[in-house]
Amino acid sequence: MNILEMHDIHKSFNDLDVLKGIDLSVSQGEVVAVIGPSGGGKSTLLRCATTLERIDSGKIVIGGDVLCDSADGKIHYCDKNMLSEIRSKFGLVFQNFNLFPHFSVRRNITEALIHVHKKSKEEANKICDGLLAKMDLTAKADEYPCNLSGGQQQRVSIARALATNPEIIFFDEPTSALDPELTKGVLKVIRELAQEKMTMVIVTHEMSFARDVADRIVFMDGGVIVEEGPAYELVTNPKQERTKAFLAGY
Amino acid sequence: MSFAGISFDNGIFATLTDCSIVLAVVCLIVSEIIMNSHKKHYPVGAKIKKPAFVVILHAAAAILALPLVIRIILSCIGLVTDDKEKFFSTIKLLGQGFGFSFGIFFFTIIFSLPLGLIVAAGKMSKIKTISAFFTVYVSILRGTPLMLQLLLVYFGPYYLFGVTTGNIEIGPFNYRFIASIIGFSLNYAAYFAEIFRGGIQSMPKGQYEAAQVLGFTKMQTYFKIILPQVVKRVLPSAGNEIITLVKDTSLAQVLAVTEMFTQASALASAQVSVMPFIVAGLFYYLMNVTIETILGLFEKSMNYYS
Repeated sequence: MNILEMHDIHKSFNDLDVLKGIDLSVSQGEVVAVIGPSGGGKSTLLRCATTLERIDSGKIVIGGDVLCDSADGKIHYCDKNMLSEIRSKFGLVFQNFNLFPHFSVRRNITEALIHVHKKSKEEANKICDGLLAKMDLTAKADEYPCNLSGGQQQRVSIARALATNPEIIFFDEPTSALDPELTKGVLKVIRELAQEKMTMVIVTHEMSFARDVADRIVFMDGGVIVEEGPAYELVTNPKQERTKAFLAGY
Repeated sequence: MSFAGISFDNGIFATLTDCSIVLAVVCLIVSEIIMNSHKKHYPVGAKIKKPAFVVILHAAAAILALPLVIRIILSCIGLVTDDKEKFFSTIKLLGQGFGFSFGIFFFTIIFSLPLGLIVAAGKMSKIKTISAFFTVYVSILRGTPLMLQLLLVYFGPYYLFGVTTGNIEIGPFNYRFIASIIGFSLNYAAYFAEIFRGGIQSMPKGQYEAAQVLGFTKMQTYFKIILPQVVKRVLPSAGNEIITLVKDTSLAQVLAVTEMFTQASALASAQVSVMPFIVAGLFYYLMNVTIETILGLFEKSMNYYS
């Protein structure tokens, strides 16, 4: 079953066409890495899938629910209730973490559980403790984000995205703001999630990581998907000239 | 002025004070010169350790300034001892005036802070007419004298609608007092609105996006995520306005509210002395020191994150 289906997505900012008809579907348990040069539309694609940007035309289905459709030529987004239903089905990890600085690590993770998903405080804390143990951050539960390293902050934000038990997690360049040393810890966590068969879409510049962890790699440039295929094959034996040129840089 | 038979304004004590304060200033200048040449041995940005000689000079300056401090204190006591009764009646009348000043201050803060938030929200509204209205509101309220605005609030109802306001009373407050609170609140709301707007717009977009993706409603995002952080950001500049307001309450004298400065003026002309003004100044200062302390504690309580 496909957790994410994006069909013929078009998106432009003013006169600039950023996405020019993207088709992407992700099935359950699949890890898809999106690679490509900056300005190629990778992040915009992710932002459209996570409701942060509205698309101009196309169709997006997440976890079986239709987020938007333009079958009759005009884009229609679902209503508010469906929107919050859909938002509870995915998690998003940002490049610059976007943790809430005035909340402790624990509150960052439990706040949405308590106030959006109406879980009891005990229940939320239990989920939080489990996730922190998994992220190797148990000792940091009562710290504030400003006292954590970038790598720790990013792991907290992964825990926050996981807390609501989403069907799919999107990562928007999760390690681009980190130095190589801190990157390792974050990639390790994502690798473990992949082993647990978490469905993930990862925009990344970490080519070897994408090759090892992803099932499939999508190479985007100029607002279109230039090439996609099994991860190892695409990295080692790209077919398109553009892909070859890009990968030669790594 | 005299105390125990010693005159402070001239004579040996005054000469002594003048000499010592000059020496104190010389000490400070010398220590500053030494520090400047000393700094050259340190890299830029490094923490500089004071040489012992500079420390001694500072201590000497403090001791030399002491006679002046004593002179000021004794002069103040002299004020009391010269005519005790006059002094206490002055304090009493100014205290009553202070009650009104504080009342204006208190109610203005109560009304203008929430109003400022509404004006800020209005100015940032996506609906053009609303944002235009509040933009004009802020522009006019900030661009015309507060004194004029107070007069307009007081006399406006009569000239515009023929309403007599003389009999209006709410509890113990007459319309003069109420009008000044309305005037101050409308005016300060405009300033607070700009401070709030600055704070809200300085919030990174990522905070809204993270909240949205996590499923928080717009209300929850504002009240749980954005506003608590905005408070920290706007506190220094809002504190500025709050302290200015304490002193601005003296403008209520154009509406003949018997606030502290009005009282001080009346007392000063009755006594042919500036003493009531100085005591009033002390009242304002004490109040602002208190406010500063409270704001400082408040700021400190939010230091746990950055």
